[in-house]
Formats: sequence, C-alpha cells, structure tokens
Amino acid sequence: MRPIAKVYTALIFLFLFAPIAILLVFSFNSGNSLSVFSGFSLHWYQELLHDTNTLGALKNTLILALSASILSTILGTAAAVGINKLRSRTMRSAMNTVTNIPMVNPDIITGISLMLLFVFAGRLMGLGTSLNFWTMLIAHITFCLPYVILQVLPKLRQMDKSLPEAAMDLGCTPMRAFLKVELPEIMPGVLTGLIMAFTLSLDDFVISYFTAGNGFETLPIRIYSMTKKTVTPKMYALATLIFFAILALLIISNLMDEETAQERRLAKAKRKKERKPLSPQAKRTLALSVLGGAAVLALAVSFAGRAQQLELNVYNWGEYISDGSEGSLDTIKAFEKWYEEEYGQKIRVNYSTYASNEDMYAKLKSGSVSYDVIVPSDYMIARLIAEDMLLPLDYDNIPNYKYIGEQFRGLYYDPNDEYTVPYTYGVVGIIYNANQVDEADIGDWDLMWNPKYAGRILQFNNSRDAFGTAMYKLGIDVNTGDKAQWDQALAELQAQRPMIKAYVMDEIFNAMESGEADIGAYYAGDYFTMADAQADSVDLQFYYPPATNYFFDSMCIPSCAQHKELAEIFIDYMLSEEAAIANAEYIYYACPNALVYESEDYIDEMGEEAMEILYPPMDDFKERYNSYAYQNLSDDILSYMNELWESLKIN
Amino acid sequence: MKKIIELKNITKSFDGEPVLKGINLDIYDNEFLTLLGPSGCGKTTLLRLIGGFETPDEGEVVFLGQVINDVPPHQRNVNTVFQKYALFPHLNVFENVAFPLREKKVPKDEIEKRVTEMLSLVALSGFERRNITSLSGGQQQRVAIARALIGQPQVLLLDEPLGALDLKLRKDMQVELKKIQKQTGITFIFVTHDQEEALSMSDTVVVMSEGKIHQIGTPIDIYNEPINAFVADFIGESNILDGFMLEDFRVTFSGQTFDCLDKGFGYNEAVDVVVRPEDVDIVSLEEGQVAGVVTSVTFMGVHYEIIVDVGGFKWMIQTTDFVDVGEHIGIKLDPDAIHIMKKSEYSDLYGDYSFFSDEMEEAVEGEVKA
Repeated sequence: MRPIAKVYTALIFLFLFAPIAILLVFSFNSGNSLSVFSGFSLHWYQELLHDTNTLGALKNTLILALSASILSTILGTAAAVGINKLRSRTMRSAMNTVTNIPMVNPDIITGISLMLLFVFAGRLMGLGTSLNFWTMLIAHITFCLPYVILQVLPKLRQMDKSLPEAAMDLGCTPMRAFLKVELPEIMPGVLTGLIMAFTLSLDDFVISYFTAGNGFETLPIRIYSMTKKTVTPKMYALATLIFFAILALLIISNLMDEETAQERRLAKAKRKKERKPLSPQAKRTLALSVLGGAAVLALAVSFAGRAQQLELNVYNWGEYISDGSEGSLDTIKAFEKWYEEEYGQKIRVNYSTYASNEDMYAKLKSGSVSYDVIVPSDYMIARLIAEDMLLPLDYDNIPNYKYIGEQFRGLYYDPNDEYTVPYTYGVVGIIYNANQVDEADIGDWDLMWNPKYAGRILQFNNSRDAFGTAMYKLGIDVNTGDKAQWDQALAELQAQRPMIKAYVMDEIFNAMESGEADIGAYYAGDYFTMADAQADSVDLQFYYPPATNYFFDSMCIPSCAQHKELAEIFIDYMLSEEAAIANAEYIYYACPNALVYESEDYIDEMGEEAMEILYPPMDDFKERYNSYAYQNLSDDILSYMNELWESLKIN
Repeated sequence: MKKIIELKNITKSFDGEPVLKGINLDIYDNEFLTLLGPSGCGKTTLLRLIGGFETPDEGEVVFLGQVINDVPPHQRNVNTVFQKYALFPHLNVFENVAFPLREKKVPKDEIEKRVTEMLSLVALSGFERRNITSLSGGQQQRVAIARALIGQPQVLLLDEPLGALDLKLRKDMQVELKKIQKQTGITFIFVTHDQEEALSMSDTVVVMSEGKIHQIGTPIDIYNEPINAFVADFIGESNILDGFMLEDFRVTFSGQTFDCLDKGFGYNEAVDVVVRPEDVDIVSLEEGQVAGVVTSVTFMGVHYEIIVDVGGFKWMIQTTDFVDVGEHIGIKLDPDAIHIMKKSEYSDLYGDYSFFSDEMEEAVEGEVKA
C-alpha cells in the first residue's frame, strides 16, 4: 500500500504544480515559442521591465489591491468586533450568514449586480460616467470583506472576554482598550485577513471586469484582452514574479499561524522554562510594519498624479499599440510628450484594452464609461453607426488623414468617410507546412477539405470565420440573408468535420509551430509570428485563396466621448510617420497609411517577403473588400447561423 | 470606621430576568468582605456594578459619598482581579504589571521601582521577563493581583480568583491574599461560592441567593447564628429540624424538650432548630436524650461522618468515635449546640440527610425488621 500512496501523492503534486513549473520554465525561454525551449535567457524579464503599459497595469493592480485590502481589513475587523458583541445568538448567526453571502455568491453575479448598482447610482446623481477607480475599489472591498471577517471572528471568540474589561479596569478608555489589548490579541487573524484580501483583490478578474472604469486597467484585465493576439512570454515572466511574491506572503502568514499554535501548545504544557519573549514583540513589529508600510504606500498612491491635467481615454484591442518593448517606441508616452511640447499642457492618456468587439460594445452600451477613442472592426462600426453610437469626425483636425490610401476610403461600413480613420487591416490566408503538404494541392480553400491531410487540418473555433471558409469555397456571399445558402455551407462544414484535427483560435500558434497540424487559416500578420517560432522540422508557408476575408480596424470617437477635439488630435498623431510606423512594426498587420507602406525604412525593416504577404496586390482592393468582408448580419440570420454552428459542434 | 462603598436599593435584570432584587450593603475601609452564595445568586453582577462594567437599573452605587452609577471603569479608583486573571498574553510579566502605570504616564524609573516592589510583594521577583503563558496558574494569579494593586486602588475586587487553582495551592493563596490585604490596607471585596474560603479569610461575610442578601456578619456569627435554613445549610453542614418554643430557653423537637440559649420567641411558636453535626455527642442508649439507628458510616480522615435515623429523620453526625452500621445509639445535645431560627420560606427545604443513600437505608430497614 505504501508505495502506491507515495505515487498517488506524487501524482497529486505533479497535477498541482506542473502548470506553474511550465510557466516558470518558459519564462526563461530565449525564443517566443510555447512548445520549443530554445535556451535559457532573462530576455522576457528585460522585456517586461520596458513594457510601461504592463507595468502601469501592475501598478494599478497593486494600488487597488493595497487600498482594497487595507480598507476591507479595517472595516472587516470593526464588523467582526460588532458581530462578536451581539448578545442574541440568532442575531449573530443571521449577521454571519448575511456577511458570508458575497463569498458564496458567484463572482459573475456580484460583478453584474455591482455594475448595475454603480450605473444606477451614477444616473441618479446625474453623472455621465459612473465607473471609475472608486467603484472598482468599492467592489473589491465588497468581496474581500467576508474573508476578513471570517479570519478575525474566530480570534475574537478565542479571546478571553474579560481582557478588554481588564484593560478598562486598569485605566484604558474603551477605544484604547481595543487598540492596546484586543487588537494585539486578534492580530494574527487581522493579518491573515489582510493577506487574503490582498491576494483576492490582486487576481480578481470577473468582478473587476464589470466594474472597471475607463483608463484604470488592472493586470488580469490586461492579460485577458491580450487574447486577440497571443499572450507574450513576458507575461510568463510577470506571472512567475507574482507567483513568488504571493508564495512569500503565504509563507509569512503560515509562519505566523505556526507561532500562535506553538504558543498555545506551550501554554498547555505550562512549561516552566524561560523562553525568549521574541514572538509577541516580533509579531507586533511585523504587523505594525506591514500595516504602516501599506498605509504609507496607499497614501502616496492616492496623492500621486492628482494634479489637475487633461485626460484622454483610449480603448483599444490588447497588444494593439507599440508599447516600448524591444526598443520600440512607446507611442502613448510619445504622444503625451509631443502634446505637452506642442500645446504647453500636460495630458494623461488612460489606456485600456478589450479582447473582442463584443466586449467593447457591451462596455459602451452599459453607459457607465466614457471613452474618447475606440478601435472597432468594420462590422461593429456599421452597427455602432446604425445605433447612433459614433460621433462624426472633424477631418480638419486630422490633417494626416490625407495619407490614407485612396483604396482604403469609402469602404462599405463608412461609405462617405464620416466616422472612421483606418488603423490596420488584414487578410485571411492559409498557412501550411511545406514539409508535409504537396505544392500541387495549394491555391484555394480546397486544401482544407483535402482528404489526403485528414487529421492534420485546423478549422476556426468561431462560427462566423468557420462558415466563412466554407462560403468562400462555395462562392456564396458571406453576408447572405438566404438560409438555404447557410444550410449549404453547413453541409460543407459537416463534410469537413471528420478531417479536422481541432477547432482552434489562439491554439493554432502552438499547433502549427510544433508541427502537430499542417494546415490552418489565419491572418497574414500572425503567420509571421508562427514562422518565427516554428520547430526545425516545420517549414510554414502562406498563400491567399482567391476569395477570402478582409478586416479593417478603424479609429472612431464614440458618442460618450468627453474630449472630442483631443481625441482627434490623438488620432492625427497616430497617423504621423513616427507613431504609425512604430505601431505597424509592433502589430505586424498591414497599415493603410501611405507614410508607412511607402516608407523605405519600413519596407527594409519588414523585408520583401513580408511586404508581399502583408500587402497583397491592391488594384481592386476596395471592390474585393466590399464584397468579401463580413458585414453586420440581421439578428435572425445571426441566430440561425449560431444554431447551425451548435449543431455542427454537437453532432 | 469609614464607609467606602454604599449600595442603595440596587436592582438589575438581564433580558427581563431579575438578577439583583434590592441590594443594600455598606462596605467599610480596610475591610475584607466576601460575597458568598451559590452560582447564579448575583454576586458577580454585584461586583461588576462596583467595578463599573454594569449599571444598576435602579438604586445607587455610592463611593466615598459620591454616586458613581455612570462613571466608567477607567475612572473608578477600583481594580479587579478577574476569574481567569485576564492577563495580557502579548505582554510579559513586567509589562502586565506596569500596564496601569504606563496608561497613567508615570515616569519610567518610577514604573521600574514600583513594579519591582510589587512583584516582590507577590513573591515573583526574578520573573519580570517571563512570558505569561509560561507561568503556572498560581503565578499567573499573583501577576493578576500585582497588576490590580499597583495602581493603588482604594478597593480591590476579586471575582472567584482561586477557583481555577488546585486545593493545596488554593489554601496557600488564601493565606497569601489575607497577608497582602493586611499589608496594603486596601479594602478587598471577594466573591466566592466556597463557604470554607469565605469563613477563613473574611472580616465580613455577605450570604446571598437569588439576588438577595440573607445575612451580613462576621464568619463566626454567620456560622453560629445563621439567620435561616438557607444560610445554615449553605454554611457548613446542618441538621435542621422542625420544633416549637415552649418558653424562653426551652425548645421541643424530635419528641423531646431541650434546654437552649435562645429567647424572644412567642409561646409555642414553630421554629427551625439547627444542630451542627460536630456538636452532637454519641452516648449509650440509656444516657441519650434521643435514640437512633446508624444507617451509614463514612471515614473522612479527621472524623467519621455517620447518618443516624431518629424516628424517620436522618441526622448527620461527625464523630471521632467509631460506631458500626446498624448499631442503636443515644444522642445527647448541650444547650449551646442548639440554635433556634424563625421559620422562613427556606424551611423544610434543607437539613435532612435522608437523600444521602436510599439504598443503604432500605437495606438497613430490612435488617431492622428481621
């Protein structure tokens, strides 16, 4: 039995810690692949140090976690003292139950209800935007509070009730009795509560996501919104650092518990031997220094950056702007600097990110935030315009608009060029492993239906894109309102299904890089990321089928914007040569700005092959785009498509 | 003697449950006063009223002529030794004792001096740096006393402070407490349910039950002249019999008339008669005023405790002479062994030892019939 038990324990530990171990190992990877470890390096840690946006998010997260944990510890301790003083048993257990509700309540419900409350309260008070740092702080305090109470209450129960009375008897006022006698007694509980609240606040995503205001982006939200492109390995570095920081906190808190347990044991044994009176003193010092340090930090933080200055709220896709990593330009910083020089006034850009058009739409629709610049995709722009959620732009304020190529103007979603300034565009193509795939088989969508490669093909795990492949193949309009044609496309997807290795989104990077799969469709820009990280046995190549999907992401000003003119200045700056090239090189999608695609420096930097792939021949670009790009589907068709998609995935 | 505390007509109830029902009590300077009674009698509540942890519903707490009903504990010149000592675990011995002085912002060197003195008073010199949790119960007790005394209160309240100690240690601490009280000249108000403790330490004993004071007196008065059956029973062992006074100094009970030392009752007035077990002489049947059968014998060390059936009423007798179970003996009472009390609501509730052992009783009865 014994060896089996050991193996079992080992397996459990493996199961628990393997993910962390992998994260740790790959944070030291010199390459950027998730599957191939190409050598030890601190590269990603250096990268992290230069990523001011991520560090900014980290700072925000720490500010929030510190303030939330300190405030919830103070409030929670006070509440626990109050609950403990209740004479009636039923009242006490009722209070206990009520305070525990936020703990057992699913985060998503807490998040939504808090958001509703804030929006509602904001409307009542006549505020345009109700979500901000303070609402997020309140939300975090709300879910931390029960944990603090849960930690403090048992310590109060264990405490001899006559201790505070004794202190009062010996000359303390009730408040002093609490500070001098009760607090030191319950300090282990208070500290454990503080640490728990801190870690809970640190990694909360769901509730933060619903209650976050514009410009205050926490780390979990930032990482989540990185999923448009892949999560970069510098996040592994960050995660590793955070893991060890939390580990240290945990060890401290366990040591403290150990100490009190030991004291109890000693008391029981009534040991006569002299014992160094280190622990209570040491504990108190530790407690005071932790609290003091935290308080100082929180104060410093709350006063920092409060000077009156202009603010601009930008809401963009994750990793969709050059952020200063790898020696690139930090576009946001550069803008702030440029603006101050140009206009003699300080400006702060609150930059936050989203993971999908739908996320962004929901956030705008809630009416609880105010953004000045957003970067939606084409079909979403059409929808926003239809719902009157965008402001027409004053192109006089955006002189650099003239550099946008002719072929990129008057696109279907904004036919009269009133609302948008194109930011990036991309074209879907097919990526294949030339070591496995016959050159004769390439050229069209047929490759993804070729039985020769059954079990080696990846399909989009996203209804619109997956249907798209079938419809381009069949020559059907991807925006058709004819259900029969959707049925036709479904049949095609069903025929393909047995040959599919997996339905994927981001997982395509790993699968293609490692050679697990040989064929998959994705954006041209992402092809380069994969080719960079491909394993030795893999030779990834790329081609465009004749009919394929095009997308545009464009800068717009939503109707909730509070600084329209500033936003236009910002958009104009994004079109300037320096910023546009930095962004294009960072994002690696095609850029519709002539200052970029005609720049010698840019072309040199990208290389001929990349230029050819990123910027396919453009004579009939507008026509192709307008006929192949996704447009907003009617609700009826949208739900019909989703029904078909479900049936495909289920059967 | 100077009155230091006066309690005037105090009532107090918790959640509609009366705990104190009209308490009147004067406490004098330099007195060792004990509040004695069974648990739940209200004695601790009375102490907490004096300490300032409770306020009376009605009545007044007067301290040196001033009503202090609403004065909070930290402003009263009264300190308390709590039942479980309530020492501060995060402070060492020295800091616990120094606590009240630090609160009063006494200069450092004076604190040093006074704490050292106080620790030597309670025989804890050399324990200054020790952790509270490493001390024995008796040592913790003495730290608590030192801490309560160092602020030089005029009154020290002690809430069953010896309850948690084992018997031997308790006896030692009783002597020590009495010594400390003599040395310091501070008024001690001591709460206990242990009558022996109360008798051996106190100048004045206050016997309480059900929120009322039954009797206030010196230990000797309380023991020898209990005011009613409750007090007689609660303080020591007592045989309490129904009787009636024939005239002054003549009382009839157990079918016999005895000489006694009490007077002032009405003719033929029904009374309770108290006879302490140690005051009963066992003699031969011929010499006895009353005759009975021994139904049980228990060896107690110093003496035997025997139960004697006298016409259905079970007497407890403490004697150094050995008698056997089943033996027929005579009982003789001197006039000073008999104490007469007025009838009260407690009559017939106490003082018969028949509950001692029913089984034994049946066995003996069977024997007698045979």
